[in-house]
Amino acid sequence: MVYLPLILKRIFSALITLLIVSALIYGFLEMLPGDVATRMLGRTATPETLANLREQLGLNEPALKRYFLWLFNIFQGDFGTALTSKRPITEILAPKIFNTLILSGCAFILYLPLSFITALLQAYYKNKNIDISLSIITLIILSLPDFIIGTIMIIVFVVVFPIFPAISLVGEYSDFSEWFMALVMPSITLALVMSVYAVRMLRDNLIEVLDSEYIFMAKLKGLSKSTVLIKHALPNAIIPTLNITALNLGFLIGGVVIVEKIFTFPGFGNLLIDSIKFRDLPLVEATILIAASFYIFANLLTDILSIIFNPKLRKQ
Amino acid sequence: MIYKFQDLWKRSNITFKVGFIILFIHILIAITGPFWAPYHYAAINVGEPLTGMSWKYPFGVDALGRDIFSRVIHGSWMVISLSILGTSIGLLVGAFTGLFSAYAGGWIDETIQRINEGFISIPFLILGLLIILAAGPDLSGEPLLMSLAVAIVYAPRISRIARSAALEVITKDFVIAARLRGESAISIIRREILPNTYGTLLVEFSVRAGFAPILIGSFGYLGFGIRPPFPEWGSIINDNRMLVYMSPITVIGPAVALSSLVVSLNLFTEGLARLLRTAKREL
Repeated sequence: MVYLPLILKRIFSALITLLIVSALIYGFLEMLPGDVATRMLGRTATPETLANLREQLGLNEPALKRYFLWLFNIFQGDFGTALTSKRPITEILAPKIFNTLILSGCAFILYLPLSFITALLQAYYKNKNIDISLSIITLIILSLPDFIIGTIMIIVFVVVFPIFPAISLVGEYSDFSEWFMALVMPSITLALVMSVYAVRMLRDNLIEVLDSEYIFMAKLKGLSKSTVLIKHALPNAIIPTLNITALNLGFLIGGVVIVEKIFTFPGFGNLLIDSIKFRDLPLVEATILIAASFYIFANLLTDILSIIFNPKLRKQ
Repeated sequence: MIYKFQDLWKRSNITFKVGFIILFIHILIAITGPFWAPYHYAAINVGEPLTGMSWKYPFGVDALGRDIFSRVIHGSWMVISLSILGTSIGLLVGAFTGLFSAYAGGWIDETIQRINEGFISIPFLILGLLIILAAGPDLSGEPLLMSLAVAIVYAPRISRIARSAALEVITKDFVIAARLRGESAISIIRREILPNTYGTLLVEFSVRAGFAPILIGSFGYLGFGIRPPFPEWGSIINDNRMLVYMSPITVIGPAVALSSLVVSLNLFTEGLARLLRTAKREL
């Protein structure tokens, strides 16, 4: 385990980042001019209602103290209570996160083969018609905002060919087929948005690897083009793709917000939009913190994986 | 300048040309559109509400009887100028902090990078929404707030790129010579480091500018964009979301406007980057 110190260092830095993120979120929402109470009540506020609300929320304490109290409670698994529904935030968040994890999981399962097969095809037929047309298609999809891709999906699969439901409402009462019907369109949309980036990256990596000497050697040995590509080139192009996948998770989380709104999927993204709309600050803070920690954790995981898989890093 | 442009055009590739032409049309529409658009963007009952495509109303009429084609045309200049403004502020702040961070080194560098990392760890759309929420109810819906959100989303990402571009330059002899001459930090950053990162920053600017309309459109689509009735494209799509079953054109119209702008910016950038690479090779 030569690489253990490297991994420990990476974990430590991830924790620091998480701390900074929590301070950023809290700072943005609580320390900017106009406190939570004025922002919650908006233009209808009177001095009395403001004073009452401040008392209720404990806003008369200094900001730094409230931040550390908030952080301390989170460490104990307590995100506080939502302002709008007066229910514990963990209770509200848990089922939504579960739904979103299922959605992102499906998107991820589609994303992997979609990006790998497309990139392999492009590298195999480099600069031929297939490669060029796939390049143009990926560039166009790349330029389409997720809400437009989702809307196109609705136009095609709901309006023109009524195959799927326009609204993906699922819950504990839903059976497998309802889940399936609800998940198809949102997860295809998410997978498309994510894979275009990976395809472009992986194609370039594969082509670069194909230029190297050991590939030349493998070709000289008389191996077929597809064996060279899959057995020799692909494994070496995986690490950069792993990194782009981690970056893609940022898109996935951002995309989830939009895609859930398009298809009215009852997940974490719609919860975030609603909590922002109703200015339910404790709920917003908890949701964003969880989104960020998911992103940080995923990046940590890919970094650790690339440390373990990369022999060059291991020796140093 | 004109001579230089002709020269550039001759050496440029097809990607650059196509991107440039579509972008030029967009800018032309943005500048002249408000003068020839058939109706005012907020004019209601100019046509039969909820009617589809026709010669008089190419993109249909929305629920309030507004001509969607006029709305899309009127929205153009705002989308383009807010995107460019936001990206420019982001580039300025990002380039400055990035170059300074690289030059200063030590704990200043470490601190700036940590804060950047913190910002980057909040997914960009969510960070944008966080800023819009933090601005409070009085400022929400303000066009400039969209630019500010774009700038805050971009600055840390650009800062990181600028820093690594500067780190490559900083060990070069001419920077060390300038340091030995006793020049001030600002002067070294401005005269020695910055000119050598122009290429990176230029590409970075156009990549980000290409994504800014998507970001601003997403705010609008989620209902946190410029306050109505201003016709920002994302919010037009959001307004007509339910009309898609009757007349898809009401959504396709603004969608095509937004995506063709982004496609042109992306093509332009890719062409530009390739041009810069060949220019570098020639030097």
